[in-house]
Amino acid sequence: MTKTVHRFYIASFFLITITATLVLSIEGFNYYKTPLVDRFFSPLDTLLKPSGLIGHGLGIIGSLMMIFGVAIYMIRKRVRYFHKFGYLKHWLEFHIFLCTLGPILILFHTAFKFGGIVAVSFWSMVAVVISGAIGKFIYTQVPHTIQGQMISLHELNSLSENLSQELKNDYGLSDKIISKIEQISSLDRYKRLKFGASMALVIQDYFGTKNVLNMLKKELRVANVHKIQRKKILKTAKEKLVISRRIGLLNTTQKILKYWHVIHLPFAIIMFIIMFVHIAVEIIFGYTWIFK
Amino acid sequence: MSLIHKRLKGTEIFKAVFLLRHIKCRGNVSAYFVMKKLTSLFSLSIIIMIMVSMRTNAQISPGNLTLAHAKLEGLSNCTKCHVLGKQVENFKCLDCHTEIKQLIDEGKGYHASSDVKNQKCYKCHSEHHGRNFRIINFDPNKFDHNKTGFRLDGKHTQIKCEDCHQTKFIINTTLFDKRSGTYLGLSTKCVSCHEDVHQNTLGTNCSSCHNTVKFNPAVFFNHNNAKFKLTGAHTKVECIKCHVKETFNGKTFQKFVGLDFKNCMPCHADVHKGQLGNNCVKCHNDESFLVVNRNSFDHDKTRYPLRGAHVEVSCKSCHGNIPLSKPKFAKCTDCHKDEHFGEFTVNHVVEDCKNCHTVESFKSTIFTIQEHNKGNFELTDAHLAVPCQSCHYKSNEKQWHFKNTGTRCIDCHNNVHGSELTAKFLPDNKCQSCHVTDDWNKINFNHDLTSFKLEGKHAEISCADCHEQKSAGGKIIFKFASTKSDCVTCHNDVHFGQFNSEKTDDIPVCEKCHGFDNWKPVKFDHEKTAFALKGAHEKVKCSDCHKKVTVDGNEFIQYKLKDFKCAACHS
Repeated sequence: MTKTVHRFYIASFFLITITATLVLSIEGFNYYKTPLVDRFFSPLDTLLKPSGLIGHGLGIIGSLMMIFGVAIYMIRKRVRYFHKFGYLKHWLEFHIFLCTLGPILILFHTAFKFGGIVAVSFWSMVAVVISGAIGKFIYTQVPHTIQGQMISLHELNSLSENLSQELKNDYGLSDKIISKIEQISSLDRYKRLKFGASMALVIQDYFGTKNVLNMLKKELRVANVHKIQRKKILKTAKEKLVISRRIGLLNTTQKILKYWHVIHLPFAIIMFIIMFVHIAVEIIFGYTWIFK
Repeated sequence: MSLIHKRLKGTEIFKAVFLLRHIKCRGNVSAYFVMKKLTSLFSLSIIIMIMVSMRTNAQISPGNLTLAHAKLEGLSNCTKCHVLGKQVENFKCLDCHTEIKQLIDEGKGYHASSDVKNQKCYKCHSEHHGRNFRIINFDPNKFDHNKTGFRLDGKHTQIKCEDCHQTKFIINTTLFDKRSGTYLGLSTKCVSCHEDVHQNTLGTNCSSCHNTVKFNPAVFFNHNNAKFKLTGAHTKVECIKCHVKETFNGKTFQKFVGLDFKNCMPCHADVHKGQLGNNCVKCHNDESFLVVNRNSFDHDKTRYPLRGAHVEVSCKSCHGNIPLSKPKFAKCTDCHKDEHFGEFTVNHVVEDCKNCHTVESFKSTIFTIQEHNKGNFELTDAHLAVPCQSCHYKSNEKQWHFKNTGTRCIDCHNNVHGSELTAKFLPDNKCQSCHVTDDWNKINFNHDLTSFKLEGKHAEISCADCHEQKSAGGKIIFKFASTKSDCVTCHNDVHFGQFNSEKTDDIPVCEKCHGFDNWKPVKFDHEKTAFALKGAHEKVKCSDCHKKVTVDGNEFIQYKLKDFKCAACHS
């Protein structure tokens, strides 16, 4: 998959997800904002109620998307035979897409009415989605190859060194700025940090990086550096800072990622178990959507 | 490991085995505890979620049931409404809502209407929308009451639902528990809501007479369908006149059935006070009480039986427009005008007509001649045959007169003689000096009283020979005063004035020769003429000497000869 195709791949996921969300929100706004006791009297009720033609359909399609999204990613990740089919990163992105859009559809299937044991499934789903978003953040903090394999510390240090050289030699930044970048990207800052402190540092770095980059931007403007050149310098400096932080937090983030799986997967299992119970109950009671 | 032992105090073997396996796999004790914390956190989250769900008391329920169905909450109750594999079936609802089922089975009410009957109950009465959900979403302003089988029209469209849908109006007390707010249980019969003001005397099919716009009048009621058909003036009479209000069972009540109408008496007052019986229709009809059937009305039953011409007289003539009026009938003048204008008033009181008239006819009279003769003018002779009007009817006035008619002839008769009769012969205009009453033409007159005494033939001839002349118009004119006593007044002078020279004042010239017995000249003496007859002349016929001559076209015998010479006669 080329970079452009990948961009299109990602963009299509965004587009589909956002479009589906917007369409459902706009079309169903009047219905969903109606108090629960009055919804039955809405003309949209027969379509959008959880057992309605659209509402029920959303539930079925959303559930299938989640089942498919989880299953296909797990199979690709865990069954060696499937390792040859595409990059894991792309499968992860597809997993994220299906397991984002699926819960959105499920959300509209519930019609924002959360009750009964199936709510456990729903909130588990919410937990899975939220943990998934967090996991994705943690995942990005752990440098991976495009194959999805973790990059070693040595490789990261080498990358960081290359970027420093690039800033020094290619762009001729002043020593003051170089020293500032070095200071903020110093690995000493991340030593012996506990989990909580690491998270605080990550947040602090987020704003610190922005400050340094703003400062660098001013300096470059004063030095009358060309605009294109200036952008390249800023990009390189940002990469340097991000890599440095990731090197510093690598050990921590790797640990967090292990712990994260403890949260993400069990919630997903709970969600599926109760969801299947829910589906079974509905089928038993005769709510089979269009399959009469 | 000492740490492990410390941690294991009082813990289960399971945990120890899990810890050892983890250390074996991961080689990191602190990671174990982190994992343990996370696992605890996860478990707590699950428990919280389950508790939250349990609080809703819903389990697998998609939402709370309404308050009315709240007792059906819980897993064990699902199949009380749901049918496995078939969602919700109506029979499940109707198993509990037997009142609806009964109505549907009986084809009554809104739920039995074609629009509703085959619908799923939950299409209108959904559930699991919360305790406060309006499972009966009834909007009185939009509800089509016609589907209930009771069409709202007239006044019913203007009243409120609760005016009829009241607990007290629910009739089926065994089926409906009279719960407040229910719209069920009413009957479509009017009396289920309205008071039966007829007190069950007219049945319960109110709409056969009344509409829903206005109770009164009963626009659909047709009195012709009743046992008593309204005809004539009865159609204009207000109902209340016959169907009077009375008190029945302690309430005001207007009786419409069971009225006695064998005859008119129950409704109409007997103005005759029983004198004429109770079969009113024999005389009256129902067009108007004032119109009486003459053919059947027996006036003899009244104090004034109709006789004679009265039989044919219209009722109005005596009773006016009010048959019930009681005209006086003691005297004829109580009804009749006094045609005689008080001429028969005695002491200011009009004498009764029956003295002269009968009821047979006003024109005929029973006043006899004898009665007449008791008056101041006795009818005799020809007067006996004269009709009354000849004397008593003044044609010029067109009026009868009986009083002061006069007893003189001239009061009735015209004086046809005018000035021909002098006062001497018509004293005080009394015709009796000449005429008598048995015959007008019979004259009882002494002609000797006149200057012309009737002698000879004059005594034999009729008066008319001398006293009547025909006018140019052929009218007889009586001549008395203007009749002269000389002969030529009546007789022609056949001698054509030959003797005029011998006129004297003492007697008419004719009488010198003629008498009254005949025309012979009995008084003529030839000797006293200028030519006395002598000798043979005495034997000669008169005509030998007195020849017929014609003078001026008049032929006559010439008696007055002027030439006495012999040759005048003898040749």
